[in-house]
Amino acid sequence: MDLSFLIKTGASGLAIALLVALAAWARIARPTPELDEAAVRDILAFEFPGVQAAACWIAADGRGAILRAGDEAFIVYRIGDGYVARSAPWALLAKAAPKNGAIDLRLADVGAPRARFKLGEGAAWPPAFEAAA
Amino acid sequence: MTFDPVTLATPFFILLVIAEILAAKFAKTRTHYEARDTATSLAMGLGSTVAGVLIGGLVAGVTLWVYQHRVFTIPMTAVWAWLAIFFLEDLTYYGFHRLSHERRFWWAAHVNHHSSQHYNLSTALRQTWTGGINGTWLLWMPLAFLGFPPAMIAIEKGISLVYQFWIHTEAIKRLPAPVEAVFNTPSHHRVHHARNPRYLDRNYAGILIIWDRMFGTFEPELDEEPPRYGIVKNLGDFNIVRVAFHEWIGIGRDLTKARSARDVLGYVFGPPGWRPDGEGTTSEDLRRAWRERVGAETDG
Repeated sequence: MDLSFLIKTGASGLAIALLVALAAWARIARPTPELDEAAVRDILAFEFPGVQAAACWIAADGRGAILRAGDEAFIVYRIGDGYVARSAPWALLAKAAPKNGAIDLRLADVGAPRARFKLGEGAAWPPAFEAAA
Repeated sequence: MTFDPVTLATPFFILLVIAEILAAKFAKTRTHYEARDTATSLAMGLGSTVAGVLIGGLVAGVTLWVYQHRVFTIPMTAVWAWLAIFFLEDLTYYGFHRLSHERRFWWAAHVNHHSSQHYNLSTALRQTWTGGINGTWLLWMPLAFLGFPPAMIAIEKGISLVYQFWIHTEAIKRLPAPVEAVFNTPSHHRVHHARNPRYLDRNYAGILIIWDRMFGTFEPELDEEPPRYGIVKNLGDFNIVRVAFHEWIGIGRDLTKARSARDVLGYVFGPPGWRPDGEGTTSEDLRRAWRERVGAETDG
């Protein structure tokens, strides 16, 4: 690699930093209010069409949610100003242990290997989803 | 001194990103930027440039070798030659792009361009790091074999790349009908970046949308169905290594589960989402399920 390439690469790096700073300053991300049940079900309907989940649990910070349909769990969580959804065996969620007021799920998915859900003060885990099971 | 459209256009790319951000901020255009998403897209673009330099020598060498064995000698100074390469290169791009979506080995390199949940000018710069190693550049070799000079091919590829930058925007709704009929536009390309089942694997065009219309892969953008951007399973963080390599790792993991040569071929060269048991989520599976749902709702 010659000097001019290194200079161009360095200048590009600087330009990236400036553009990212501008994007952060502009505050033009999509609005992401705390999730409520209607919003979670909207996401579920798009991500897992046809899935009927009777019960919905929403994380204390409104950034994530879990739904259960039988032995299957459907998780939704915020990433930036968008959302990511995955399904996982309910047993995986049920056996997760709360730590520092949150549930940290390890998923077998290279695209989304980890999901974190904040628990409310004194909240029980797993959520009581028997009605949905 | 070589003529490189992409290098020449880079300052304008930066200025247009700034303009799009400022327009969203002050003129309230329909555009969104999220800082970490923007950082990831731009860093992928920079990494792609570096990867391109690393593989560039090989590509240039092979192209020159093929050109030495050309059928015709096409003059770089002839207008008809530029007209011919404009259409032929754009058709080649269509083929490359379709392959890059419909077969997992090539999708693994291209997926990162689609992994943003945003659609703005920074998304245009979210380019592959691994596109050189999966050999798609070989698709342009027939042009050299025909007799187009390698510099001419490189320039036309650069023109196509520069053209495709400005269409990554939500700020432009629709262009006049004759333009929408012939050219790839922001509206057509929004469809291409959408993950709605209706829009999956549609509008592969580079500059001209006519190829999609000819080969049955065209889908218009509908006002009643706004595009939702990203990939079928959106990524769970902004880790740039994950963005660059997640599908390759996914292929590797799936290969450990393969039980036959059919499984191996399906996991590597089948459509993205393919599974040996037929329970996968390929674009066609998703589109079929969507059609059945829509049909059931209509019938109901």
